[in-house]
Amino acid sequence: MNAARENILARVRAALRVTAPPPAAPTGQPVFPPVADPVARFTQELTAVKGELVASLPEFLNSFRLIASSVDLVPGNASVREAELGVTGCECLIAQTGSVVVSTRTSGGRAMAVWPPAHLVIARREQVVPDLAAALALLQHRYAGHWPSQLSWVTGPSRTSDIEKTLVLGAHGPKRLAVYFDA
Amino acid sequence: MNLPEQQFRRDAAVKAGDLNHRATIQRNIGLYHAAVARGKTRFADWNEGRARLAQVKWDAINHLDRYLEQFARNVLANGGHVHWAETGDQAAQIILGLARRRGVRKIVKAKSMTTEEIHLVPALAAAGIQAVETDLGEYICQLRGEPPYHIVTPVMHLSRQDVSRTFQEKLGAPPTDSAEELTMIARRQLRQDFLTADMGVTGANFAVAETGQIALTENEGNIRLTFSLPRIHVAVVGIEKLVPRVADLALFWPMLAHSGTGQAITGTCSLVGGPRRDGEPDGPEEFHVVLLDNGRTRLLADVAQRDALHCIRCGACLNACPVYRTIGGHAYHTTYMGPIGCVITPHLRGRDDWAHLPYASSLCGACAEVCPVNIPVHRHLLQNRRNTAGGWQRLAFKFWAWTVQDPLRYRWAGKFLRCAGPFAKLWTDTREWPAAPAQSFRDWWQKQNPHPNPLPYTARERGLKKISSPPSLGGEDQGEGESRSS
Repeated sequence: MNAARENILARVRAALRVTAPPPAAPTGQPVFPPVADPVARFTQELTAVKGELVASLPEFLNSFRLIASSVDLVPGNASVREAELGVTGCECLIAQTGSVVVSTRTSGGRAMAVWPPAHLVIARREQVVPDLAAALALLQHRYAGHWPSQLSWVTGPSRTSDIEKTLVLGAHGPKRLAVYFDA
Repeated sequence: MNLPEQQFRRDAAVKAGDLNHRATIQRNIGLYHAAVARGKTRFADWNEGRARLAQVKWDAINHLDRYLEQFARNVLANGGHVHWAETGDQAAQIILGLARRRGVRKIVKAKSMTTEEIHLVPALAAAGIQAVETDLGEYICQLRGEPPYHIVTPVMHLSRQDVSRTFQEKLGAPPTDSAEELTMIARRQLRQDFLTADMGVTGANFAVAETGQIALTENEGNIRLTFSLPRIHVAVVGIEKLVPRVADLALFWPMLAHSGTGQAITGTCSLVGGPRRDGEPDGPEEFHVVLLDNGRTRLLADVAQRDALHCIRCGACLNACPVYRTIGGHAYHTTYMGPIGCVITPHLRGRDDWAHLPYASSLCGACAEVCPVNIPVHRHLLQNRRNTAGGWQRLAFKFWAWTVQDPLRYRWAGKFLRCAGPFAKLWTDTREWPAAPAQSFRDWWQKQNPHPNPLPYTARERGLKKISSPPSLGGEDQGEGESRSS
């Protein structure tokens, strides 16, 4: 397919001999209002997207029999495929959107955070960053050139509104997403 | 009249008169607009966001050669493979060939307009490879044998009852009135497919040049399962999806989510950069990116319309369009429907067959007003009309310009139009001829003011006309019509 590559790039270069006029320059004003208290905002946003904040870990774990885990705090007793709950760490948490960033490095690979019907994230409060820009800057700094093969910004449980715009949780991924702050 | 135009006219007429269809669409789009209005409060300055995205996409598209090569280099460095496809057929053949070489029997598919564009599923089916759509909406479409109705919400036109009937017929599921129960039926079915598929095929919302990653946006989790469980992951990526830096996503993600559904950010946004790495417990053994041209370089070569490639496929212009809301998504018979579809389809698939599309617009500009990357969509629709305007159209508009640039001719034209109703059959087939008052404003004015000027007004105005410049047809459209070459 090298011919296709050369042909496409040749057409692109020929087309770009003339540059299109640039759009009006941005003013530099902030697009989003500032985030004042990241942890409080994260909690508020997480709840708004129907995520749960776990107060008592033993109580939460009590309702699950088969657990797959990639963190030391919660011992696992099941494989990812049969687990009712996947317990993972995370890269960071984002106050602006209530998102949890999981990656293959922090979350036991790809499936553990998405295949089991429930997902529990064990995190520390200092992992909360104000916004998406801060999260991407942090990861860029952490991994420049050596990114994990996959990362996901997870905001609430899996959901769909495909049928009559009615919100249903647990479309394909976890029906429940919970966050526990270990410190 | 060619076939696409005949189909369009026929289906648009049917849908426009279908009141059930209209009620469903109005309800769904009403909910969408309410969600977007609520979401707007999250922004301090939405327009600044649009300006920034427009600037990033301008940079990406106007230096596309550089960013494409950088992206391809980085995918290779991450352990992935890059394929280049000049046409949709080539792209489908690349994936088919790969599936054959690797002994693939079943493929799970994420929702991707690009794979619709290259007709991947029929191509695979013809070769005996089953490809299962895993997005709930697309799954319903596949069961019904219908194309998606909307680029973001594929079954926007169906009610719960419609979906239940489809599941009863195709899956033998019990009837239900609950959207939740319907979703769970699909979940149970598709989980089996995820476990048994050999290959997962996705599109990409963005391709990051700096890191060689693709970004995928979804709510359901099916895309994550598609690129997590099967042993091969293939992503079909239009060459216009490039963004320079990973940091750019900090704004693209929330703006796309807001325009697409009114969400602050879509349920899951993923970055995938390669196959499973050493030390990772799972993930595919192979990662392939198919970079697709399929007419995009034709649009790129058109400097005046190049910014139509900035589109991030949020679907906002569809929801805003009075024509889309009346005729629905199927009447277009295109992969990309609505205003942006009418802009890009003639470029991607040929002007001759699709020249009618830009006329599926009132040119009201609602599309441009909601566009998160500031594409002047309605101006491109007008430009598309110019691109294909035939001799008689040009002549007619010249005649019109000649008429309205002279007061006397203008007056006589007015008098003629007052009694032209019965002759305008083509126009009045689908519209009312506006009832004209008995006398014109000019006549009325003259009666009120029998001797306002020392000179007869026509003579006076004829004098004025000689010293004023001829009127233009609106600022942005000046003088391009005749001289444009393409």
